[in-house]
Amino acid sequence: MSQAGAPRITAFVCNWCTYAGADLAGTSRLQYAPEVRIVKLPCTGRISPLFILKAFEGGADAVLVSGCHPGDCHYTSGNYHARRRWGLLRKLLDLTGIDSRRLQFSWISAAEGQKFADLINDLTAKVREAGPFAGANPARKRLAPAPEEAQGPRRES
Amino acid sequence: MKSLSADRLQDLAAALSAAGYRVVAPVEADGVVRFAPWSPGAAIRTDAVPVNSLKDVFFPPSEAIGRWRRSGDGFDAIETRPEAPKTAALAARPCDVAALAMLDAVFNWDFRDSFYDARRAATVVAALACSEADEECFCTSVGGRPDAAPGADALLRPADGGRTLIVEPLTDQGRDLAAAASGVLQDGAAAPDAPPEVRRRFDIGRVGAWLAGNFDSPLWKELSLPCLGCAACAYACPACHCFDIQDESGPNGVVRLRNWDACGLGLFTLHASGHNPRPDQASRWRQRVMHKLAYAPERFKVAACTGCGRCGRVCPRGMSLADTAERIAAAAAPAAGPAAGVPA
Amino acid sequence: MSPTPSLREDAARLLREGRVKLVIGYRAHAGGGQGPAVPEGACRAPLAGGGGRRPAFIEEAHRAGELVFDGACSQNLAAYLKKPEVRARMPLAIVASEAVGRSLVSLAAESQFAQGALLALAFRGERYEGVKEVEELAALAREAAPEPRRDPDIGRRLAELAAWPAQRRAEWWSARFSRCTRCYACRAACPGCYCQRCVTERNVPQWVSTAALGHGNYAWNMIRAFHQAGRCTLCGACASACPQGLPLMLLNTFLAAQAAEQFDVEAGLDPAAKPLIGTWDPEDDNSFFT
Repeated sequence: MSQAGAPRITAFVCNWCTYAGADLAGTSRLQYAPEVRIVKLPCTGRISPLFILKAFEGGADAVLVSGCHPGDCHYTSGNYHARRRWGLLRKLLDLTGIDSRRLQFSWISAAEGQKFADLINDLTAKVREAGPFAGANPARKRLAPAPEEAQGPRRES
Repeated sequence: MKSLSADRLQDLAAALSAAGYRVVAPVEADGVVRFAPWSPGAAIRTDAVPVNSLKDVFFPPSEAIGRWRRSGDGFDAIETRPEAPKTAALAARPCDVAALAMLDAVFNWDFRDSFYDARRAATVVAALACSEADEECFCTSVGGRPDAAPGADALLRPADGGRTLIVEPLTDQGRDLAAAASGVLQDGAAAPDAPPEVRRRFDIGRVGAWLAGNFDSPLWKELSLPCLGCAACAYACPACHCFDIQDESGPNGVVRLRNWDACGLGLFTLHASGHNPRPDQASRWRQRVMHKLAYAPERFKVAACTGCGRCGRVCPRGMSLADTAERIAAAAAPAAGPAAGVPA
Repeated sequence: MSPTPSLREDAARLLREGRVKLVIGYRAHAGGGQGPAVPEGACRAPLAGGGGRRPAFIEEAHRAGELVFDGACSQNLAAYLKKPEVRARMPLAIVASEAVGRSLVSLAAESQFAQGALLALAFRGERYEGVKEVEELAALAREAAPEPRRDPDIGRRLAELAAWPAQRRAEWWSARFSRCTRCYACRAACPGCYCQRCVTERNVPQWVSTAALGHGNYAWNMIRAFHQAGRCTLCGACASACPQGLPLMLLNTFLAAQAAEQFDVEAGLDPAAKPLIGTWDPEDDNSFFT
């Protein structure tokens, strides 16, 4: 989390459903917590486990992965492939210390702007409650120049 | 004569720690003995050769050698110094100490490596003469001895059937170490134990002569066939010293890292074009053997192998440099004829 | 009774008749060296010593007499099928303990060798079963292990870990991964790790840091284990290859149990099995999605 205590949440979403859902939340003027950074991919099937690891390595307090509902994939089966991978990956990460408070999965369609806003608010509240992940995050890169040496606003927790 | 009861090595470590030394020694964690920082209460294991070597103290697997912070559109360099606390390396084996000649030479060859040198200067090495040798040990084949450690600052020599360690300072740093530990050392005579017998496996001169003329020998293919192409041997080796430079960036800036690398890995010589001048494991294994027993002796007058035997102990296939050298020595024997005709 | 006479006869016959160009097996090694592997995963004797076995590559029938087989033959020879030098000598025969047999079945399911390119000189325990095709190996494997085999000690340790808070698990694993030197002996020893360019070697961008530091070691160990999910036959080669004694079998066993529990998959029993990751089912678990 940044110094202000805002959690850093990385969201990997598919282009066709969840990104459009987020867009709808915006155009509908729905308010939701601003701590989420969205990374748009063509399909959840493109979301490699490496992306999730990289987000945690870079200091994310939580990662959200979201795409089209089962049966609705723009590419027919990308989300089915992805679901199977995550069913195993999330267990492996949990075993090694990245538990389900830090890694969330959801299906959000292009019509579900409200669900997107609610999910981000819920997730943000959950991550705030869990606290900053930095100290306990096993994937975290602890290499950057020390914060006291960095100029300008402190960006590392 | 100064000495120490063998079961009081921990007290020696504690005394050195109290005198301001960081102590590294063979300690066990999760069933594996490693050369690692000693902490109070940890037993110092003299009954096992650590899985890693003394090299790690001077040349760690990864270290930051440069750092830059973001500044506007550019970067400002942050002065990066080696972490080199005053250190005492206890109970290093003679074969590990022997490898320091190779490391000193290569890290001060055409460029003085301030990171290596700083730690070398800050570290006093107290070697432990061996009281036993296993089947992988072959120091005597490459000019070493189990009971002498030229290059160390002090030698701990087992005596009285292993109950006592005679402390023999060899340098001023070693005398400082003995002085810092004087509270746990005692005076009096002790009878040094006979060193273990380490079988001489090959004639290094004969191996060198064969290497000089057999770069293209078909024997390389055969010798390398069991090799799976990992870096276990190189990383366990006290004399291997290859590294890779990687820059890793973060939100605040960039860190330049020096990471271990090894000639057994296919990526080691892979060009950006896709061409690999060492395209197979035979050429990689040849490089490893040549570097150790031909190139290093030619360039630095010292073999890059000290016979510690770790390669054979850690190899998932049990390959060792000694086995290879033995085969080469047999190939070089006049009676055996040309290299291709070596009996298996 | 020693099984080696019939093993040697079969190996010599296959070579003599030209059915194979190479037999990969085990030979005795006078010098000792690394003894039987320790697939338990936690530790290994620092001074291994003791009568070792070494891989043997036999191309001439008259050398088949070098072959031996006994309980000390614990190296997984199936890992050699990824070496180009070995692949160039197909068709070949390979001395296959139960563990090697399961690896071969798993590799056959992943189309890693052509039909007829590989024969097994199969063992069940120390009993020699003769020359087997891959389908027969699979039948042997199913017969030998009708129920999934899991090390109960590893099961207990996993249960213990599961009861801890996440932070304690993270700290426990980080302490172990911190010893990883990235020598990749785990990858080299694994028959299933056959990617021609491993993900750690993909550097545009550098997905997995090659530094032997916390972040790189965590990412590497996660990716290595995850790439084996539903494929690992629990032979233990990675764990016994690890010089640092990292508890890799905890990760492998955990994922194998998950693959079985969630998807009813047991690797190394069916040469026609579809890959777990790479296929899907509309009925897969959906309960973790909001």
